[in-house]
Amino acid sequence: MNIDFTINGTKASVDVPAEMPLLWVVRDELGLKGTKYGCGKALCGACTLHVDGEAVRSCSFPVSAAAGKTVTTLEGLSPSEEKLHPIQQAWIDEQVPQCGYCQPGFMMAAAKLIKDIPNPTDEDIRSNISNICRCGTHPRIIKAIRRAAELQRISATL
Amino acid sequence: MASKTSAQEQPNNEQPQKKSLTRRRFLQVGAIVLGGAMVAVYPGRIPMRRAAAQMVETMDFPASISSYRPDFWFEILPDNTILLKSPKVEMGQGIFTGFAMLAAEELEVPPSQIKVETAGTSTGVIDSLGTGGSNTTSSLFIPIREVAATMREMLKTAAAKEWGVDVSAVTTQNGVLTSGNRTMTFADIAKATKKWDIPKTPALKPASAFKYVGKDMKRVDLKPKVMGKPLFGIDQTMPGMVYAVIVESPYIGGTLKRIDTKAAAQMQGVERVIHEDGLIAVVAKSRYAAEMAAQALDIEWNIPQKWQQADIEAIVTVGKGTEVNVQNEGDARSIIEKAGEQVFKQEYRTPLGAHAQMEVNGSIVHVEKDKATVIIGTQVVGLVRDEVAKAIGMDAEKIEIRIPYLGGGFGRRYAKMNAGNAARISKIVGKPVSVFNTREQEFLNSVYRPNTHHVLRAKIAANGTVEAITHDQATPDMIIENMSGKAGMTAFGADFISAGHGASILYNTANRSATIWHNKLPLPVGIWRSVGIFANTFAIESFINELAHKLGKDPIALRLSMVSGTGSGSEKIYTRYANALKTLAEKSAWNSPKTPGTGRGMAMANDRKTVAAAAVEVTVTDGVIRVHKVTSVLDVGIAINPEGIRMQIEGCVMMGISAALYEGIQVKDGQIGASNFHEYPLAMLRDAPEIQSFILEADDVPYGVGEPPIAPIAPAIAAAVFDATGVMPRSLPLKVA
Repeated sequence: MNIDFTINGTKASVDVPAEMPLLWVVRDELGLKGTKYGCGKALCGACTLHVDGEAVRSCSFPVSAAAGKTVTTLEGLSPSEEKLHPIQQAWIDEQVPQCGYCQPGFMMAAAKLIKDIPNPTDEDIRSNISNICRCGTHPRIIKAIRRAAELQRISATL
Repeated sequence: MASKTSAQEQPNNEQPQKKSLTRRRFLQVGAIVLGGAMVAVYPGRIPMRRAAAQMVETMDFPASISSYRPDFWFEILPDNTILLKSPKVEMGQGIFTGFAMLAAEELEVPPSQIKVETAGTSTGVIDSLGTGGSNTTSSLFIPIREVAATMREMLKTAAAKEWGVDVSAVTTQNGVLTSGNRTMTFADIAKATKKWDIPKTPALKPASAFKYVGKDMKRVDLKPKVMGKPLFGIDQTMPGMVYAVIVESPYIGGTLKRIDTKAAAQMQGVERVIHEDGLIAVVAKSRYAAEMAAQALDIEWNIPQKWQQADIEAIVTVGKGTEVNVQNEGDARSIIEKAGEQVFKQEYRTPLGAHAQMEVNGSIVHVEKDKATVIIGTQVVGLVRDEVAKAIGMDAEKIEIRIPYLGGGFGRRYAKMNAGNAARISKIVGKPVSVFNTREQEFLNSVYRPNTHHVLRAKIAANGTVEAITHDQATPDMIIENMSGKAGMTAFGADFISAGHGASILYNTANRSATIWHNKLPLPVGIWRSVGIFANTFAIESFINELAHKLGKDPIALRLSMVSGTGSGSEKIYTRYANALKTLAEKSAWNSPKTPGTGRGMAMANDRKTVAAAAVEVTVTDGVIRVHKVTSVLDVGIAINPEGIRMQIEGCVMMGISAALYEGIQVKDGQIGASNFHEYPLAMLRDAPEIQSFILEADDVPYGVGEPPIAPIAPAIAAAVFDATGVMPRSLPLKVA
């Protein structure tokens, strides 16, 4: 039975088991590799994407739960490669990525955070994002989220 | 060891001479097969390869750089960008950025005109010793520039010939060659030239003329990484690819007792369950189906021994196994022995550790009749190729290894990457196959940082100075047996290269001694970021801090009193230690009043000539240790990309905090006691302290930066905990009872 949803503005229809994690559907059925496998148990956040605007750890989220909903992955976060989402711009400005593998999950979690809390304090950032990074980019992630929030405010006033 | 040659094999008739940056003659080193510098567009490649092969035979590269086929470091692409094919892999260290900067200096182009990718086996040079040991950029500091300079002169020579002018009349800037009012791009001349003249290696620019080296440069891989591009091994696909999951014993040394594959084989999407010659794997149309079917396998295991944590610690204990003395100055051992109960003695332990790199290990392999293609994120390209060749009985020359970006390495991608088994699966099913670990496999069927035990003793003289220090480190192997087998370990006695790295006492006491005790664990162990200096610095620097407390001295003052340069020709390093310690004291405001409830601690290490010192401030509340501030001082010799160095410092500080406060594997009932991140917690955003980084450049060559800053973190935190609570934790992860 097909499961239908919208992903990054495009209709998708997949014929997969209902309980298949959205992570593998996005990666292997739809070919969007920006969403990463990290732990398979919703522990590390590398697979974070948005479902109807909510940040979701897609390794532990059955595809059937996305039926009829809108899914956004990192590839769909910005309108184009030239016009970046404030989070992506801030990630470049602050030079966050080292190996870069966990960053898609961090960026998706952070994009949700600055939407909910447009002017986050360090404490908001530290207590709301529990993703894992092994390269130790944490100090720059915190700086980049603050910068992204600022970029978001500036673009809102334009 | 994997190296095919050594310094001793260099021809004897060469006068030993100091390598200088100018007019260095490339030595001919027979057994070393070398990479080449070449300018090529694809149509012109074959004659250029020949020219390159001739040229590289006369070049002197670091002994471990080898290519299995003479090939290229550089290509000029039709859009006039320059492709640099790196013999080293990018796993987050930022080396591609440094390489682009170095090449840009001699090519007279901006670094942005240089594109860097990993060579792989079919397109360029690879390094048979792998990417690690923090030596990547320092080892290529001269070779990359020499190759780039040679290429620049080749391009100029070709342009001069084309225009019928003397080469001295040709200049180049930004990839454009100019003579009088004539101009041509690198791409134009590469396309037009069939036969290349190879010039003598030109003199390199002096450091004073560097345009890019020493200035902050943005990483070259930021944009693709923030756009979510498919850069990593696990992101790659091949047409007709299937997915497999390998099943291994979850018990240490466990073997198969009984397996029933029926239920798994009948599951949706499953193509085949493989059970042959010790390999158990499920092959399916999707990764999900393969994982589900692997879980559905009905398996029982033989458990040879229910290993417990106490067994693992008992094996790794000073006094057990074989002993190798690595430092013996003065009469330390007998002074300590004679002093008997008068000595100051402490013991320290570090636990088994996991790398926990975020991208699990795995590969994509397609074995065909007469060739095989492997896509894998590995730190040792050559070893993977040998492993695959052996596994499928194919000539290594027919196996192409492609290297994408690595989702972290930290030493984990030196061994047990399962590429051989992945190749066997592809051969069995006759299709390309994607075989990646689950996170559980990554924890349970892995290679671990070995646990260690340390005993330190000091004799304090009547005048309150330190008369003698001895350090005994018990550690299993990291690299000797892994790379050269049991025979290697028999010959060496203990792994004093990696596991014992940093065991020696760096402070200048007249009597000092270090000994490494080797014993074998029943589980696979290997290298982990910074290798042995992580454990050794924790132990030695904790001891020095305790010694300072016992003597009633400030820990920085005590160290400064022991880094004066008397004898043994090592004055320079003592000056660098003193410089780092004084900088640390100043920048961390070491002598300023502390906020009540805060503890301060510091430590220092010399990691292959990089001097790393750190000071930290912590609080301890209800047994919870929080690191609030870290000041890191790193003397790197020469800084190539300071911002890249700061990123490595921050990474090491976070990994050091993580290892100091949270990490450690306990063995229980025959199993590794951590199967996923809930049982092996890592530092998170809430653990990030304020970090101040200070880079010193007190030498004339660049040293490593990817590992050294981690060494002082754990002992500095331990000392700060003691300062705050009066309780000295002597094992990792640090606990305050």
